[in-house]
Amino acid sequence: MKLDRRRFLGGAAAAALAGGSIYELVDKLGGGTPARTVVRNLPPEQHVFDLLSTTSEGVEVMIPPLHSEVITAQLQDVDLLKARGELEDVLLQLDDAYDPSPSGLGVTVAWGLPYFARVRTAADAHLPFDTRANKAVLLPNRRFPSDPEETILEDNDVAFLLRSDDADHIDEARKLLFGLSFLHITSVRHGFAGGGFDGKQSLPKKLAMAAGVPGADLIPNDAELFLGFTSTQKAGLGPRLIANHETLGFVDLRGGYFHGGTHMHLSHINEDLEAWYLNFDFGERVLTAFTPGQKARNNQQTVPQGPKDVQDVAQVSAAYAKTGRIGHSAAIQTTSRLQADVTGPDGTVYPKGTAIPQRADFNTLDNPFTFSANQARDKWSADPSAGVHFVVFNPSGDDFERNRLAMDGGLPGKKLGLEPRSRAQGFNSVLTTTHRQNFLVPPRRHRSFPLAEL
Amino acid sequence: MPETARSGVRSSFVRERAPRASEAGYIGGMRALLVAAAAALALTAASAAGGATKTTCPAAWVSGWQALANKIDAPVYCPTWMPNPLDAQIKGQYIDIYSIGKDRSYLVSFLEHGDEGSGDVHVNFRGYPGRTAIPKCPGPVAKSKPIPCFSEPVAHMTGSGIRATVYQVNQGADQWHILLAWHLGKSLYTVSEHVIPPYQFSTQVKRNLQKLLNSLVLVRPGT
Repeated sequence: MKLDRRRFLGGAAAAALAGGSIYELVDKLGGGTPARTVVRNLPPEQHVFDLLSTTSEGVEVMIPPLHSEVITAQLQDVDLLKARGELEDVLLQLDDAYDPSPSGLGVTVAWGLPYFARVRTAADAHLPFDTRANKAVLLPNRRFPSDPEETILEDNDVAFLLRSDDADHIDEARKLLFGLSFLHITSVRHGFAGGGFDGKQSLPKKLAMAAGVPGADLIPNDAELFLGFTSTQKAGLGPRLIANHETLGFVDLRGGYFHGGTHMHLSHINEDLEAWYLNFDFGERVLTAFTPGQKARNNQQTVPQGPKDVQDVAQVSAAYAKTGRIGHSAAIQTTSRLQADVTGPDGTVYPKGTAIPQRADFNTLDNPFTFSANQARDKWSADPSAGVHFVVFNPSGDDFERNRLAMDGGLPGKKLGLEPRSRAQGFNSVLTTTHRQNFLVPPRRHRSFPLAEL
Repeated sequence: MPETARSGVRSSFVRERAPRASEAGYIGGMRALLVAAAAALALTAASAAGGATKTTCPAAWVSGWQALANKIDAPVYCPTWMPNPLDAQIKGQYIDIYSIGKDRSYLVSFLEHGDEGSGDVHVNFRGYPGRTAIPKCPGPVAKSKPIPCFSEPVAHMTGSGIRATVYQVNQGADQWHILLAWHLGKSLYTVSEHVIPPYQFSTQVKRNLQKLLNSLVLVRPGT
């Protein structure tokens, strides 16, 4: 399918996006597109998006899609079943047009609590339940200890995550979605990741320099992300099906409607690059990103974080007692890595130390979004700003919250007394979360208006 | 060593402006005076920037630098160029910190503070007579061991017969600054500038530092 760019639909959001942006430079500056294999079969899971790997500084790393975009929307007054058919038609068109891989297009449709309130009876009966936490899988939004009071907790009905190496594919998906009259587009969030594994200048470096954001000149030339460390090493990302509700066994699927589904958290985070590069020397950047005492070669970007490198509560606590600070990765590993071997329902054995979350985060120059329907509330600005659109899949909302609390020093069974956003609290002193929302990602068979048919 | 911390204003963790200590000097409060004259002087100095290196400390500035050299009984470096709108007149309108430690080390700081959000222009000069080692500063968190006040060497610059090391991560009054450090005999000297609008990129600041380095002239004690 090759849509005409001029048949661009979508009112205010389309108009806002049609004016061109810094992101148009991605294709001009981006250099070559990674060689990819073609994938024909659509997996039952919407969130599964298979990536190729390469080696960076001796560590296997996944090659993220160059472009990512999230479109959020609220629903107009709508006949859910009619809308369901229209949305599914669009999604089927995209399925037909593109392989579900970075060379084609990844489409993930996620639904928020406001949507499930529209189908409350069916939701009460079918939404999965986290038996480990004794909580619903899809939790109300919340702020975390390091979040400022200004962090906006959003109330979107639906979010569309689009991923591709080809910006045109994302453009075309966006056009089709904008054509759905029942969607009131609330935001468009665009970004990029990667490049640089071949030693050439990476996309984040190029784009930050082109946009002229403060600190751009301080980013390492081939850094995968603005903060200078490779975050897509294979051992640090959950394997293919581990984030499914059913895989680790602590979610009650209550009849199985959401079998193959997952939880998605979406946030936008500002990154203060100047603070990072002018106040933290390389050694402190390493211990802040990983753990006090982490060994790394000077200017090393890919620091191994395999199962044997994983830290537990006792180790993080001991490092904190000795140094008064925590590292980002080590703190999160106390909850994000398996504490024991687990066998999945399909017989797959996930060894102790395996990562659970599947991250799909990407850097951005949005401030905070490419487009916002509520510029005053979102504090929208046309001036580019360095940040990250954080997208992560976990088996449940509580599983995400455990990780996010650990990032702030709230470890399992132990709360470290870290001042929010202090330099002792890992990355938090240079990060500011502006927006948050939890979503549920149904399996592909129920991706359009889940439960509406019941 | 004058341990005078002056924070930057842009970081969430250094947002509070620390008190300006002054062990043996004064903090300028004369900015309202002689504005026009100083601006003219700054422009004159700026016009020399990047061009021919002056061989003497400007007449309007030399008395202060000479007094400093005499006070510490060691050579000091007088700039003949400063980033607009600053001048380098000790006791002038832009002086922010003038501090001499018991060990004769000094910190001379010039600041134009943009109250209307226009940013700051902030340049520090330091000298450590009789020592070449990089001094230690308090660590960033409570249990940290002391850390080098100047770290993350990223390049070298040459000018005025000096080969300086460019340090990107600095502490205390030089936090958020790019800093040049070099030796003269058995002494350590530095000059640094804050990375903040209107000079918001380290590349801009490095250009200014190159001009500053090119402009330095030595003022010896007792001359």
